[in-house]
Amino acid sequence: MAEQMTSDYLVIGSGIIGSLAARKLALAGASVLILEAGPRVTRGEIVSRFRNSTRRSDLMSPYPSVPTAPHPIYQPTDSGYLVQAGPYPYPAEYIRQFGGTTWHWAAQAWRNVPNDFRLHSLYGVGVDWPISYDELEPYYQEAEEIMGVSGADNTGSPRKQPFPMEPVIEAYAMRRVRERLAPEYKVVSNTTARNSVSYGGRPACCGNNNCQPICPVDAQYHGGIAALQAEAAGVTIRVNANVYQLEHDAQGRIVAALYYDADKNSHRVTAKTFILAANGIESPRLLLLSASSKYPKGLANSNDMVGRHLMDHPSTSLTFDADEDLWLGRGPQSPSSIGTMRDGAFRGTHAAYRLDFTNISRVDGATRDLISRGVYGEEFERQLRFSSAREMSLKTVLEVLPNPDNRITLSSEKDSMGIPKPQAHYSIGDYTRLGHQRAQKDFAAVARLMGGTNLRPSKEGAYANNQHICGTLSMGRDAAVSVCNEWGRAHEHANLFFCSTGVLPTCGTCNSTENGVALALRTVDHILAEQGIKPAPAPVASAGARV
Amino acid sequence: MSTDTAPIETGSRPFNPGRRLLLASLLSASAAALIPWALAEPVDNAGQGAFLGVSAILVGRLALEPGLARRLYAALLAQDARFPAQVGALLAQINQQSLNAATLQQALDEAQSPLASVPRQIASAWFLGIVGSGEAAVCVAYEEALNATIVGDILKPPSYADGAYGSWAVKPVEKQHG
Repeated sequence: MAEQMTSDYLVIGSGIIGSLAARKLALAGASVLILEAGPRVTRGEIVSRFRNSTRRSDLMSPYPSVPTAPHPIYQPTDSGYLVQAGPYPYPAEYIRQFGGTTWHWAAQAWRNVPNDFRLHSLYGVGVDWPISYDELEPYYQEAEEIMGVSGADNTGSPRKQPFPMEPVIEAYAMRRVRERLAPEYKVVSNTTARNSVSYGGRPACCGNNNCQPICPVDAQYHGGIAALQAEAAGVTIRVNANVYQLEHDAQGRIVAALYYDADKNSHRVTAKTFILAANGIESPRLLLLSASSKYPKGLANSNDMVGRHLMDHPSTSLTFDADEDLWLGRGPQSPSSIGTMRDGAFRGTHAAYRLDFTNISRVDGATRDLISRGVYGEEFERQLRFSSAREMSLKTVLEVLPNPDNRITLSSEKDSMGIPKPQAHYSIGDYTRLGHQRAQKDFAAVARLMGGTNLRPSKEGAYANNQHICGTLSMGRDAAVSVCNEWGRAHEHANLFFCSTGVLPTCGTCNSTENGVALALRTVDHILAEQGIKPAPAPVASAGARV
Repeated sequence: MSTDTAPIETGSRPFNPGRRLLLASLLSASAAALIPWALAEPVDNAGQGAFLGVSAILVGRLALEPGLARRLYAALLAQDARFPAQVGALLAQINQQSLNAATLQQALDEAQSPLASVPRQIASAWFLGIVGSGEAAVCVAYEEALNATIVGDILKPPSYADGAYGSWAVKPVEKQHG
């Protein structure tokens, strides 16, 4: 062991959730250390990588995997880091670096709808959450004020306080979609952690149309900002610290984390309280890696629930040419959606879904298509302008039910640090497939209302992934079928908490990040209350917000 | 946006009249008729000249910026030392068979020509700014890639601001294009 360190609180993972949990603890006066497996990278470096990329549509292209903290890479070739056990592929993407995966999110900052918390009671499928919408509501608000969420109060999630700011001005293309789909469909602005005014020391959006993979001006909040804010609050973040094992004592309390530095020297860090915030795949992986004679199945896993109930949001899509010029690519990338199928009695039989419209520029995709078809010269020019102006696309964001057979396990293969790789077991259930079938009516109606021609549905049976990894650390009241309680505390380890989208017991139809952040802020309140500490007011800290 | 793999000079053409040819000297009458605007382009050697000639046919009416042309040619050459010979053979075939932008790819594909991939390589270079494929691909241009230019009256390349806050809310106005 090269070095010993100690801290009151040790957080593993510097992503948006871990960093905001750490920041809240530090603002209350605690000593907090974050161990981050990946390197420190700045926004400027990432923007430069994007502009020099040979795969601009590959959101992982500006985020290369590093040998000391590998993450999944699929293009141009699959690195094989996330081993696929099938039967359906689960090519999850995530980023191991300072700030984590939300460096390349679309800033979709959604609340659940209230009935998402009572899926089993109301519809007889899935499970209920151990808490209600009302219990989480103040923490949604807290998360939204930290992140700077813009939105309108028409998305089915009641609120007691207003949004921090009004929605970002609607893109022309989305206005036309909204106007033409009314009154059959109500198209609403997505709630996003994207500035419509200067907020948190960051500027309003200026329409770079590059929310993914990197907003070049920080008009949207992300984990890199959260990590800097944590540092500004007094948190120490150690990068290139790849935690490979947690140690426990005879009573089952966690006592230390062991990590490899970039030279593979091992270090040991002790703490009083441990917060695992290494996303929905790396967190269960670490628990499984930490098996001991007392816990032969891994930590928090005597009931064999760690890593199970893996969920995400599969998507199917329809692309077509509208009968008027829309010119996608002006303004933010994912501004509008249809939420009418997020809830209803149908959830007893098929998946709920959102219908999400893209506003991503079509230019590169159309270019590749034309080159592949050998279209050159003036005809190339004509067709590129036509496709760039007319092409539009919408996709389903489908709910998945918790299924214990969908899970993360350890592979027999080892990664570049000699640590067993994570392995995904995944399938798309009938509930989700039936949701997709129901959505075909909506696809057809939207195409009709937009005067669509040249309809190009996604391949039947093919579901794209959305990188909303949930369920693998599920919270629940029944300790036999969940991993942690409603506070994110491991059932088996009193000083081990999970701050991660992995704790979500169901996935609903909205991007998982805001749920994960809100639950983490609630967890920190609980930790502090147990120790008799009142949380500090959590201002929108602009200090350190510049990346 | 240039990369480290674009090693040669950019910008204005080197002044070296003693060894200059004009592109027109490499073209048949039918090929020359396709690209009258490019005929006076100076070329340094047959390979680069053939690249410019084929490029002019593939990209249509669009101007071939000389600095970018040099960087793309250098990148294509770095990918495959046979590129000058291939593009020379392709231009010869265009000259002989009076091929044009509309007929070129189909003719090569139907003949299962070993040159069938060459137009796509050149088109990718000009339209996407990307040379090569897979792990070996390099980005030579982004903002100057011709697919950005073609829609430049309406769209900025992603990562560049559309304008002040809300500029994207108004109906875009197409400017006279081409």
